[in-house]
Formats: sequence, C-alpha cells, structure tokens
Amino acid sequence: MFRSLRETSPDIVQVTVNGQPVRVPSGQSVWSALALSGQTITRKAALSAEDRSAYCAMGVCFECMVEIDGEPNQQACLRRVAADMVITSQNITETSKALHDGL
Amino acid sequence: MTAFDCVIVGAGPAGMTAALTLVAHGVRPLVLDRGAKAGGQIYRSAASSPLPDTSRLGPEYTIGADLIADFEACCANHEPEADVWHIGDDGRILYSLEGETRQVEAREILICPGAIERPMPIPGWTLPGVMTAGAAQVMLKSDAIVAENAVFAGSGPLLFLVVAQYLRLGVKVAGLVETTPSENYLRALPEISGALRSASLLYKGLSLLQEIRRAGIPVFRNASQLKVLGSSRAAGLSFHSAGKQKLCAETVFLHHGVIPNPNMARALGLEHIWDENQLAWHVKRDRFGQSSVPHVSVAGDAGTIVGADGARHEGHLSALNILARLGRISQDKRDQLSRHPIRELQRLSKFRRFIDRLYRPVEVLRMPQDENTLVCRCEEQSVADLRAGFQDGARDPNALKSRTRCGMGPCQGRQCGPIVSALLAKWRNQNMEDVGYYRLRSPQRLLSVEELSRFKTVEPTRCETSEAAQ
Repeated sequence: MFRSLRETSPDIVQVTVNGQPVRVPSGQSVWSALALSGQTITRKAALSAEDRSAYCAMGVCFECMVEIDGEPNQQACLRRVAADMVITSQNITETSKALHDGL
Repeated sequence: MTAFDCVIVGAGPAGMTAALTLVAHGVRPLVLDRGAKAGGQIYRSAASSPLPDTSRLGPEYTIGADLIADFEACCANHEPEADVWHIGDDGRILYSLEGETRQVEAREILICPGAIERPMPIPGWTLPGVMTAGAAQVMLKSDAIVAENAVFAGSGPLLFLVVAQYLRLGVKVAGLVETTPSENYLRALPEISGALRSASLLYKGLSLLQEIRRAGIPVFRNASQLKVLGSSRAAGLSFHSAGKQKLCAETVFLHHGVIPNPNMARALGLEHIWDENQLAWHVKRDRFGQSSVPHVSVAGDAGTIVGADGARHEGHLSALNILARLGRISQDKRDQLSRHPIRELQRLSKFRRFIDRLYRPVEVLRMPQDENTLVCRCEEQSVADLRAGFQDGARDPNALKSRTRCGMGPCQGRQCGPIVSALLAKWRNQNMEDVGYYRLRSPQRLLSVEELSRFKTVEPTRCETSEAAQ
C-alpha cells in the first residue's frame, strides 16, 4: 500500500486514472498518481499478457509504460502530471500489435 | 552548425561539478539532463523536496542541496527534461525535449548518466509489487511516497540506507532479508585498513546498520533461495535463513548493488573492460575520464562505481582535462589542479574496495537458478529459452538476441544485458571479456514519428563558444 508523507499540499491537479478521477500535487510523477490511487497495473507483458507494474521508477526498465492522453508507451515514472491528464493502463501485447498492424 | 565548446549529459554530482569547474575557467557548457531538477538520482529533489523534513534522509542529501544551489546559480546552460538518445562520434547529440527532437553539436562531450541497479532475477521478480530499493528512494525523494509494510531483500549500502530512512520517517517495514554471505566478512577484512582512511564513511555505514537493529524490525541474515510469493501480484517473499522463512507483503524491494549505466557509452562504441572486483563492465578511460574516443569523457558511476563523493572528484578532473583540450588552461596547470582530486579518489577507492568485497553480489542472485525465471523482462525469455538458443548455436550476446529476441524490447537490454553475458560465460566456460556484451545502437529510447518530424537545431549563443573569449 503506497501512501504520501506530504504534510502540505501545494497546487493540486485532477487527472483520471482508468476513468477514475484522482487528485495529486502538480509536478508529481504520473506513476505516483497510479500508486496513490491503488491502480498500480501499468501494462501487459508482451507475450503472456500478464500484468506488469513499475519496477525501477527511474526510467531504466520501461515496465511502467502507460497511455497518456491517448499516446501509448509513455514512461509513467518520467512523465509528470498535468491538469486533466487522461492516464490509462496499456493493453498492448504482441498479439494485439499484430492485429493492429493487420498482420 | 556552430558547436558548443562542451556538452555535459547528466546533472548528478559528476555533471554538476564538471559544469562548475568549466564555468570557473570561462567555458559555458550546455548541460542536458533527463530530470526536472538537477541532482541526478542521489541528490534527487534535494533542493526542492516534497518531504516535510529532509534531515531524516541523512547529511549527504543536504550536502547535495548545496551543490545544486551552486550549480543553479552558475551560468551553465541547464536544459532539464532533455532525454538524450543519440551521441555520435562526430560530436552530434540528439535529444527529446517537449515532444520535439533537438540537435546540438559539441567539441567536447562529457557523459555522466550515473549507475543503474544490478538486475536481481529471482523467481517472481516480474510480478507487480516487486520494485527495487532505488525505486523506493526515488519515490520517497521526488514524490514523498512510501510503501507501508514492505519487505527489503538483498545487500549493499543503498538497501540499508532506504530501510533506515523509512524507519526514521515512521514507515513500517515488514522485514530486512540480508543476502550478504558470512564469508564476505572474512574476504573484506584485508581491506579494512584502507577503508579506515575514510573513517567517517565507515562509521556512517556502521551506524546505519545499528539504527536498523535498534528499530527492532525482523532482520534475517545470510539469506538464500529467495522467491517472490504470489501468482498475479507479489504477496511476500520466501527464503532460507536458519531454516525456511516467509514474510507477507504487497511490496518487495530488491537490491544488490549498482553497475554503470551502460547504454549511452555502449551505443557510442566506447571500449569497455570487465572488472572482476565490481563484477561489472567499466568504460576504458585515462585518469581524466577520457574514453577511447578522444573528445568523449565519462565521469562518475557511469564509468566505474565510485559513489557520489567520487563522482564529484571525477567530474572535476574531467572538466580540467576538457579545459586543457579546449586550450583554456595549459597541461601543467591541469596537472597542478588535478593533484587534490586524484589524491581524494585514491583514498575513496580504498573504501570502495572494502565495500565491493563485503557486498560482492552472490552468483545465485546474479544468474537465475530456476530454468523458468525470466531473464529478459520485456520479451519474456527465460533461462530455458536462452539455453535452447545457445544449444542451437547462438554463442554470443548478439547471436542470442537475434535468435530469441532477448534484449530487443523497449528497455534495450538494460535489465537482461548483464545476466545474458554472465550466463553465456558460464555455459561457454570462458571469461566475460571473451563473451562481450550486446552491441547497442541509437536511439536509446522509444521515439514517435511525430516527435522526429518536429526537429530543431540548437546553437550556442556567442558567449557559449570560444569566439567570445578570443
């Protein structure tokens, strides 16, 4: 269970995580919005489609790729929240990609 | 395109110190850094922490805030949130910023991308809820987020530091599972006199361990056979430590040391050497950090693990050499100014040798012991998959990559690279130098066509080139 140690909250922005509204301090990482809302699944594994979540939180592992405002493959740990941002877990796998590419 | 005198990649302790040294001698570098604020990972958000009281993170963190303040006050051109994805040996650098591709040219390049955590491929390491100790620290420093009742497992100074920080902040810790084998204490003993030359560092380490012991959390020593519990997400950790043990937790933080962040130096084709003491690839450099490509230098943990203090001295040294190469100071002046940082680095290296021995990662945690454990997280290739590829004739990392797709995913081998080389060395019964590492290419990140189409060349202003001084 993730929680915040902040005592004062500066500017708060509202974003949606998988359709659910979440209020987070502006400037925080997109991953922190996912963590605090308890929706920690970021993407699916490429072949098995098993759930994945952030692992390194510093841009190395690419496990935290999500869709931000419709754009896929965004590293949630490196992007920062902005007002009205739409964040969704990513469901892309090898099969869905193949379908998408018409292969 | 007019070239910058010097472009520094990375604004951690090495990059910031280098920038300050260059500025002090009249060179204005362009500093490209992926972070929103300067500081790197170690001093992350040190000058702008969301935490109510940063003193609980320890004195080094506060020292970082001073360095950041000096760096921000100097006239170096600092470009935050710039993600460098190509460095050419022609001096051209490409990076992403605000959804655009930007291009600059540099006469001298100093790369300081720091370290990454060593992969720890235990069964279940891909389950949601398994993260690294470095991740725990990043979340704490930049977003003031903690995981309640987590298990910490592995070894090394960073692991103990994060546990101590959590405890000081009143965060509950389910347990610390320490994998340092008892024989490491004996192996480290001959290095103790050298380590004592950095007595304050040694004392700090010991007091951390004492602090954890006094807090009364469950601590398990000499642990082995680690396995993350849970089927679709982490539910805890099972292991052996004086018998079979189990800890329940939603979050498991793993760590067993750091290694140089390889991709930038590898994609540039810099020569590397295998270091048996640190069990890691090091960029081949002279004492000023100059690599096999003369106008490219590497400072800090990206070259050899030297820690934050060492990184500052290396950044200083590299900058002095760059100043000499740019003709701003004489070689004599460079050598004279280098004496102090070189002496300090020698002293610190003795302490590092002690740490390297004591926390030398065990083989069973560097290489998966279970055939079904994934090596490549992105393309989901297990030890068994790789072994099959090897038996089919793929005997080096690149051949194995083409055959199995291992290392072809979005992380570009950052996680599986060290494991693949180690497995191949074992299977071939040869040393790491013979096996080598993945051949990497730019771009070092995922790019979209939209981003590539928004292209811009950034040129220095007059005061950022040598002409200004002439």
